[in-house]
Amino acid sequence: MPSSQDPLFAGLGQAVRIGTNLLATLMVGGGLGWSIDSYLLPTEPWGLVGGLILGLIAGIRNAYRTAQRWDQS
Amino acid sequence: MEDPLHPFELHTIVPLSLFGLDVSINKAVIMMFVVVGLVILLLTKARSSGSLIPTKLQSVAELLVEFIRGMIHDTMGPEGMRFFPLIATLFLFILFCNLLGLMPGAYTVTSQLVVTGVFALGVYTLSLLVGLKIHGMKFLTILVPSGTPGWLLPLMVPIEIISQLARPVSLSVRLFANMTAGHVILGVLFGLAISGGLLIGWLPFSFTVALYGLEVGIAFIQAYIFTILTCVYMGDAFHLH
Repeated sequence: MPSSQDPLFAGLGQAVRIGTNLLATLMVGGGLGWSIDSYLLPTEPWGLVGGLILGLIAGIRNAYRTAQRWDQS
Repeated sequence: MEDPLHPFELHTIVPLSLFGLDVSINKAVIMMFVVVGLVILLLTKARSSGSLIPTKLQSVAELLVEFIRGMIHDTMGPEGMRFFPLIATLFLFILFCNLLGLMPGAYTVTSQLVVTGVFALGVYTLSLLVGLKIHGMKFLTILVPSGTPGWLLPLMVPIEIISQLARPVSLSVRLFANMTAGHVILGVLFGLAISGGLLIGWLPFSFTVALYGLEVGIAFIQAYIFTILTCVYMGDAFHLH
């Protein structure tokens, strides 16, 4: 069993995180925007568009932050 | 050729109903019982000798404990050791589910989004509760990144809300998708090997063998990632920025 400080192992963990995070923020952003469109406000389709854009920004920001934190340690 | 998603279907073996809730026993439930029983059995057996010079099983158990402790120390600091039982249980359960699921004929419990989703939601809710208990209402400042100018707030707060909500989603989808995809690929390749016969079937079969080794590694890495992210989220609740 590799130690949790093993650079290869920890690096693999970091790498796998970023990809799924991008997808998840897109899904959540789009989902939130879509539900605003369909249940709360008559803004179709702009809620979905805005939500997707916000989700994309959030995903890229998270990836950037994760990479930055990794660089420091 | 058989439908590659067929192994993921669940059929009731013992129909049970509790207060109108369907709690029937199926293959996944049996696998979970087996995993829990195996973990308890192995760890109590490893502990039973208790000698200073460890037996083989005992050294494996000690390695595991050291590994989990290292994860917690790196991400949460020493005060995170309060959560050692939770983190260790999560890690061992997911690891054994992933590994036992690789046995032919066994069922991979973690390939069900329900299972991973409940784990991820539970862990995430717990981290929110811990943060609220430690910091009170000040905890809501996780939604405001430090050093944000005031005019950017209407943009940054929705972004932070989305990235917070994405945490349980990415946690559950990652584990579920990795396990499902791995097993589907193994199933498809092995199906090719069988239908190819001896003449050409050895080629997909050798891929199956190689991928099987990769799957063992993935089983371990996915369990590690799930638990280390749990630690990271808990750590975020401890230390605000």
